[in-house]
Amino acid sequence: MTAALLIATTVAACGSDSSASEDAGGPWKFTDGSGETVELESTPTRIIAHSHAAAALLSFGIRPVGIYADVPVEEDPGLKDLDLEGIEILGETWGEIDVEKAATLNPDLIVADWWPVEDAYSGTEGGVKAESKKIAELAPIAGSAQGDSIVSVIEGYEDLARSLGADLSEEGVAGRKQRFEDAVAGFEAAAGAKPDLTALAVSPTNELLYVAVPEHAPELLDFRRWGLDVIIPDDPDKAFPYWENLSWENADKYQPDLLLVDDRSYPENLEQAEKQPTWDTIDAAKAGSETPWPGYWIHTYEDYAEQLESLTAAIDKADPKLGSS
Amino acid sequence: MTGGVTTLRTAPVGASIRTLRLHRRRSRFALTALLGALAFALFVITLTVGSSSIPVTDVLASLFGLESNEGVDFIVHDLRLPIAGAALCVGLALGIAGTLFQQLLNNPLAAPEFVGISAGASLAAVSGIVLFAWSGIEISLAALAGAFAAAILIYALAWRGGISGYRLILIGIGLTELMLALVTYLIARAQIYDAREATHWLTGSIGQSGADELRALIVVLLLLSPLALLLNRSLRTLQLGDDAARGLGARVETARLGLLAIAVALVAFATAVAGPIAFVALVAGPIAHRILGPTQSSILAAGFVGASIVLVADLIAQQVLPVALPTGVVTGAVGAPYLLWVLVTLNRQGRGG
Amino acid sequence: MAAGASRDTRALSAGLAGLALCLLLVCGLSIAVGSRSIDFSVVVDALGGHAQNSTEQTVVNDIRVPRTLLGLLVGAALGLSGALLQGVTRNPLADPSIMGLSAGAAAFVVLGISVLDIRDLGGYVWLAFAGTAVAAVLVYGVASFGREGATPIKLALAGAAVAAGLWSVTTGVVMTDVDALDQIRFWQVGSLAGRNMPVLEQVAPFLAIGIVLALVCGRALNGIALGDSTARALGQRVEATRALILVAVTVLCGAATAACGPIVFVGLVVPHVARAICGPDYRWILPYCLLLAPAIFLVCDVLGRIVLAPGELEVGVVMGVLGAPFFIALVRYRNLAEL
Repeated sequence: MTAALLIATTVAACGSDSSASEDAGGPWKFTDGSGETVELESTPTRIIAHSHAAAALLSFGIRPVGIYADVPVEEDPGLKDLDLEGIEILGETWGEIDVEKAATLNPDLIVADWWPVEDAYSGTEGGVKAESKKIAELAPIAGSAQGDSIVSVIEGYEDLARSLGADLSEEGVAGRKQRFEDAVAGFEAAAGAKPDLTALAVSPTNELLYVAVPEHAPELLDFRRWGLDVIIPDDPDKAFPYWENLSWENADKYQPDLLLVDDRSYPENLEQAEKQPTWDTIDAAKAGSETPWPGYWIHTYEDYAEQLESLTAAIDKADPKLGSS
Repeated sequence: MTGGVTTLRTAPVGASIRTLRLHRRRSRFALTALLGALAFALFVITLTVGSSSIPVTDVLASLFGLESNEGVDFIVHDLRLPIAGAALCVGLALGIAGTLFQQLLNNPLAAPEFVGISAGASLAAVSGIVLFAWSGIEISLAALAGAFAAAILIYALAWRGGISGYRLILIGIGLTELMLALVTYLIARAQIYDAREATHWLTGSIGQSGADELRALIVVLLLLSPLALLLNRSLRTLQLGDDAARGLGARVETARLGLLAIAVALVAFATAVAGPIAFVALVAGPIAHRILGPTQSSILAAGFVGASIVLVADLIAQQVLPVALPTGVVTGAVGAPYLLWVLVTLNRQGRGG
Repeated sequence: MAAGASRDTRALSAGLAGLALCLLLVCGLSIAVGSRSIDFSVVVDALGGHAQNSTEQTVVNDIRVPRTLLGLLVGAALGLSGALLQGVTRNPLADPSIMGLSAGAAAFVVLGISVLDIRDLGGYVWLAFAGTAVAAVLVYGVASFGREGATPIKLALAGAAVAAGLWSVTTGVVMTDVDALDQIRFWQVGSLAGRNMPVLEQVAPFLAIGIVLALVCGRALNGIALGDSTARALGQRVEATRALILVAVTVLCGAATAACGPIVFVGLVVPHVARAICGPDYRWILPYCLLLAPAIFLVCDVLGRIVLAPGELEVGVVMGVLGAPFFIALVRYRNLAEL
């Protein structure tokens, strides 16, 4: 591994990478989302990242040398529109990372989300191949913790990028952050203007209508924090507390003013829901007051800004007198 | 399938029979050794292929500790050896267990996945992943416990003054359907990332678990295989059917229980290492039987066949396919043509049924 | 064979009538009871079209009634196809999943989701149907190689082989396409929930045809159960009969799985219960299956609606959990070797 560091330092000193490191020779320290501190002899420049973390790093101007993803890269919502030229793809199936190829890249740092519940980073969770876990032996891992806010996830990667020497005042990067901050302001204003507005986050399937419990969905917690009253269901599934399951007979249990529909199979899931005879017993559904809600994949200011802007538009259109709850 | 007993009764023809039996034993030994060599060759091949091409000589040197090169050592010892080792051991265990099941239950379609043990392991492991966010060794332990619990339950339910192989299979199927219904339910309700993890485990993949589970499997293999070979003699009498065996004074139930327990233990530990790998246990015995000829199947031969199948499947799954997939996907694809081959050959011999 | 041969026809007919009455009551139960508690008087009003609460009217008329009808047809289809399979393969263990038919349905559904991006229930119906048909053709085709045609053991082996291959395909797809996994994992559980008039309209014709075909085959099954050579000696055209029965099975299973996803135990257990009641004569077994299977199926569905209200427990799970002890008791206390 000494050889790898030597190469890395030399390359960094030549300044050929996009990551501008001013103190290429000095030691590097970072305390990440898991609370552990990573210490290296110099700022890492050869980074392998999990797809979501990679999207985050790329948005701050840090370019990894390798990416491992859970789905084919062209289908990953965070990566599909990005330019990944020159980056080695180390895996496109969940749980299978080509650690041998990763080893040849001589990484200094692995970056991936930290999941407190699983006590693991993305790519090294309980069920992956043991070989994939060996990626942790190539280099230390650091990453932002998944918790009760998407903003904190992004901020975590912002801090990491800063410590890696990214120039956050660079026009593109700063611009994206500004757009996000404007989007949040717009969202808060819209929500504030309609204090009685209620929203319900749902995931409709053919068999059941699942109502999301905000406590387990960081985006929903963010929305609540910014003033949108996302309804908290009162009877979540005992064994699976992230949702309350409603039979289609009981679709009208909650009557929000705005429906937030899970965007992972949108708009097909909405179309299927509309075919259910009781979908229109939800007044908001009947009035067409619905908008997609992004689940779990957002890792950059830009993506979040985009989603918030469309949500704000939906809030502006919504009628707070529709639903009863 | 009648082996030694009939030849005893025809003693006057003694000398030529004895020569024949010696001949058969020698060729059986030779074929078994050949199968062992094949398994070992595949083991070495698994060590030599990968994303970085390392010359065979370097691999062997690193393997036997003759040279010390950090990069090569990491790849060979940390990445490839556990995989190759796991494939070898899991294949051995499943092959041996499969042929034991088939002979004990006197049914060529008997396999742990039909008898309910794999389903028990699966239910326990998936519950752990989906309900308790367990990881790594905890999942393997759960799988182990689930396999044993299911085996005990099936045996208890099937026991009615004795075990009939037929009843055992039927009850195994019933319990399998029950457990798989629960597994499907858990996967439907879980968060998608847990569902994905559970599905990945269910497919069965070499290299899924860590060194501890593999070590446990190796110990179990080393201890139980000789024991199974010893008990094999009782097995031959069992093949005459319960009544005849009882008449010969063989202690049917004890021998059967012992061999069953060994088979269950092998499957349980193999499943803890690699998840439920489909079809290896089903096809290893019959393939070995076919290769060795019309004598009794050799348990060891079945083990080597199992090891070869798993090693080949893993090579295909990891190196040949465009996208790396878990091993279990390939063994399923291999199981199908094998069964078709059985059909076609059964057919030609006019023994279609 | 001797034990079951002489059952009183009158008793059996009376039994059948009683069973029909039972089934009618179960249907009433299925319309009156659900995850939403609706007063019985309101249910009656709703059926007549003049319930006060429009939501409850919708629930009764647009959800429960089609669901009950579908449950009737699907239950009957599963029970009958199980009986037919067990008869034609002379294997008391036969049921659609063993023959690879469910695997075929699942493979096609998952391919449709992944490759063709089909997400709606109506689309699944056609995919599942096609998958079942393809699996059945494969199984029958492979098993027919050779002189003797598709004998029971060859059918069983071919079924296992086809199931294996198709399972590989399905798993390969969901491993690489998490979206496909996310869709199919709900379908795999097997459920009547969310299946309304459109689904009923799609599959009802096939189910009806299949049921008629199945009932017609009763006499022929008696012959086949005696063994191929005996059946031929009795003047039966074994190959043609077998093919016809397998067509009926494909139609029934295909439509049933298409509507509800894979359901276990109905096809396996109900024929045994029917046989226990009326003996080995398929001319009685099939009508008994026709009435018994939907009764059991709907009762399980109703149970699933109650236990987790306001949510639901899918009928596939209920059948799995309840069917197993029942099946095991059957195996333990009745020697299943006597068919």
